[in-house]
Amino acid sequence: MKQMNSIFVSIYWLATLALLAIGVVMVFAYTPTEVTMGPVQKIFYLHLPIAICTFFSCLTVFVASVGYLWQRKAMWDHLAHAAAQVAVIYAAIVLLTGMIWGRAAWGAWWQWTPRLTFSLVLWLLYVVYLVIRPSIESSQRRAMICAVYGVVAFLDVPLVYLSVRLMPDIHPSSIELEPAMKSTLIFWFIPVIMVTVGLIAASFKLAKRQAACNITRELPLPKSKTARPLRPTITSGNRGVV
Amino acid sequence: MMLLLRQIIMLTGKDLRIEARSRQTLGLVIVLGILIIVVLGLGLGPEQLTNGASATATLWVAYLFAGVLVFEKTMSVERHDGALASLLLAPIDRSVIYVAKLISNLILMLILALVITPVAVVLFGFDLSAAPGQFTMIMAMSILGFAAVGTLFAAVVSSTRLQGGLLAIVVLPLALPLVIASTQMMIQLFRDGKPIGGTGLTVLLAADVLYLVTSWLVFELILEP
Amino acid sequence: MTATDLITADKQSPQADALDWVIRARGLSLHIDDRAILHDLTFDINPGSYVALLGANGAGKSTLLHMLATLTVPTAGELRLFGKRVGRGNPAIRANIGMIGHQPMLYRDLTALENLVFFGKLYNVKNPTDRAEELLDQVALSHRADDPACTFSRGMVQRLAIARALMHNPKLLLADEPFSGLDMASGRMLENLLAQLHAQGMTIVLVNHDIEQSLALAQRAIALRQGRIVVDAQTCELDLETVIQEIGIS
Repeated sequence: MKQMNSIFVSIYWLATLALLAIGVVMVFAYTPTEVTMGPVQKIFYLHLPIAICTFFSCLTVFVASVGYLWQRKAMWDHLAHAAAQVAVIYAAIVLLTGMIWGRAAWGAWWQWTPRLTFSLVLWLLYVVYLVIRPSIESSQRRAMICAVYGVVAFLDVPLVYLSVRLMPDIHPSSIELEPAMKSTLIFWFIPVIMVTVGLIAASFKLAKRQAACNITRELPLPKSKTARPLRPTITSGNRGVV
Repeated sequence: MMLLLRQIIMLTGKDLRIEARSRQTLGLVIVLGILIIVVLGLGLGPEQLTNGASATATLWVAYLFAGVLVFEKTMSVERHDGALASLLLAPIDRSVIYVAKLISNLILMLILALVITPVAVVLFGFDLSAAPGQFTMIMAMSILGFAAVGTLFAAVVSSTRLQGGLLAIVVLPLALPLVIASTQMMIQLFRDGKPIGGTGLTVLLAADVLYLVTSWLVFELILEP
Repeated sequence: MTATDLITADKQSPQADALDWVIRARGLSLHIDDRAILHDLTFDINPGSYVALLGANGAGKSTLLHMLATLTVPTAGELRLFGKRVGRGNPAIRANIGMIGHQPMLYRDLTALENLVFFGKLYNVKNPTDRAEELLDQVALSHRADDPACTFSRGMVQRLAIARALMHNPKLLLADEPFSGLDMASGRMLENLLAQLHAQGMTIVLVNHDIEQSLALAQRAIALRQGRIVVDAQTCELDLETVIQEIGIS
C-alpha cells in the first residue's frame, strides 16, 4: 500500500515535470513574441496561472480554517498550514513576475498600481499567518488562533481587492491574445495546478508526520487497589481502570 | 436586552475606572501618537506636510500604532492576576466581554484622536477645513473596523508568546484594506479637492460589518483563561 | 439536607436524579496535542459533599477543576452541572459556581471593596456593597477595604480572592490550592470557613497538595494519577500511606 502510494507520487511528479517542460518548450518555440512588450510578455504564461492558484491556496486555507473551527481536528490545521505555505510562495512569484513585467512596461520595478499592491498585501497577509505560528507553543492554541486568522485574512481579500481599485490604474486590463498564445496559456494551467496540488499535499503530509512524532507514548495504566466503588449508587469509579 | 446593556456598561465602566486610576494607557499612547507625528513630520519636511494627503496619512499612522498599544494595554489589564478567568466564570455571555472591551477601546481611541489631531493640525498647519465632516466620518469608520479586529486579536495575542508590540504584526495586515481605502479617500478630498466616491465608503462599511460580525462570532472560541 | 438524605431520595425517585447531583461526569477526557491529560473520568458529586481532589504534580487535578468550572471544554465525555449539560452558550449555569484559582482573579488597580462590588454586580447580587462588607469582615480585611488590591500582601490577596469567590453565594465552590500563600492563622481561618460553608450545605471540591490536611478536611477523596482516577473513597476509609502509594509520582 505504502509502496503503491510512493510510486503514484513519483509518477505524479514526473508527469508534472514533463508537462512543465512541454510548457516551456511551447512558450519559446511555439508562441510568437508580442510586439510591444517583447520577450518579457512570455512571463505572462506563468504569471496568470500562478495568480489564480494563489487564490485557490488562500481559499484552501479558509476552508481548512473553517473546518478546524467546526470540528477541532488537527488535520484541518495541517491542511491550512500547508496551503498557506503554498499561498505565500505563489504570491511571491506573482509579485516578482508582476514587478518584472512592470519594469519592462513602465521602466520601474515598483508602481503603486492596484494589482501590484493587491499581490503585495496578499503576500503580507499570508506571510503573517506563517510567522505567527512558531510563537504559539500549544499546538491546540496555535491551530485555533491560526484558524481565526485564516478566516479573517481570507475575508479580507475581497476588501483589499475593492480598496485597491480606488488607486489610479495603469495595468494592462486586456491583452489581445493570438490563438497560439491562448492555447499555450491554457496549457500552462495544467502543470501549475498539478504543482499546486502536489505541493499542498506534500507539505500536508509532512506536517502530519511531524505532528505524529510529537505524540508522547502513553504510559501503562497504573494498577489500582483502592479504586473500588464504595458506594455504588454514587461513585461508579473509573471505567478506564476497573 | 436591558441586562446585556447593563453588563456591557458595567464592564466598560470597570475598564475606564481602572484606566482613570492607573493612567497606564492614555498618557502612553498620546505621547506615542505625538512622537509618531513629530518623527514623520521631520522625515517628510514641512512642505510635504501641508499637502493634505500626507498630513492625513501621518495622522493615520499615529492612530494605527497608538491604537495597537491601546488594545494591548486594555487587554493586559485582564491578564494581570488572571482577572479574565473571573469574567469567563461569571454568568455573562462571552460576546458581552468582547463588546464591552471594544467600547472601552473605542472610547480611549476617541480621546486619543481628540488630543493628537489638534496637535498635528497646530504643528504642521494641516488644513482640515476643506472637509472636516468627511474627514471625521472616514476616520471614525476606519477606527471602528480597526478596533474591532484589534480587540479580537488582542485577546488572542495576550495569551501567547506574541506579546510585546507584536500585536501590530497581526492586526496591521488585516487592517490594510481600511488603510488603503481611507488614504485614497483622503487623497481625493485633500489633494484633488474632489468629493469622495461611494466605493471607498462601501469598503469601509463592509470592513466594519465583517470585522464586527466575525469577531463577535469567534471571540468565544479564542478566549482562554 | 445532608448527603445521605439525598441518596435515599434518589433511590425512591430515580426520575428526580437530575436534581440530586451537583456534578455528574461521564467519561470526561481531555486530549491536548494527542496527549491524554484526563482519561475517561466518570464520577458523581452530590449536593453538600466535601470532596478533596488529590494527585501528584501534573496528575490533572487543576485541569479537572477548570473543566468543572466550565473554563476548559472536555474533548470527549459529558459533564452535567446542576442537572444541566455543560456546553457552549449557557452562561446561566456558571451563576452557581464559585472558584478560587491559582491566580487571585482580581483587578489590582481596584480597591478590595470595588473588586467585590464589581463581581457582585456581574452575578446580579442584591445589595452588593452590603454583601462585600460582610465578606470582607469574614476574611478579616475590613480595615483595608478601600486600598487597591496591588498594595496587599500575598496572603491578603488570597483572602480577598476567597471573598470574591463567595460573593454570589455559590452552591458549588471549586478551590484550587486555596491554602497556598496563607500563614498558619489565615490557613486555620480558611479551614474553618470551608467547614462552615460545608455545614451550610455548600458543595466543595478542594484541590490540595497537602494530602494529610485534605483527608482531615474532606468527606471524600478522589485521587488522580496520570489523568485517571486511582482512588475514589470516603476519607475515613483511607490512610495517608495508601493514598501516597496510589498517587505515586507523575
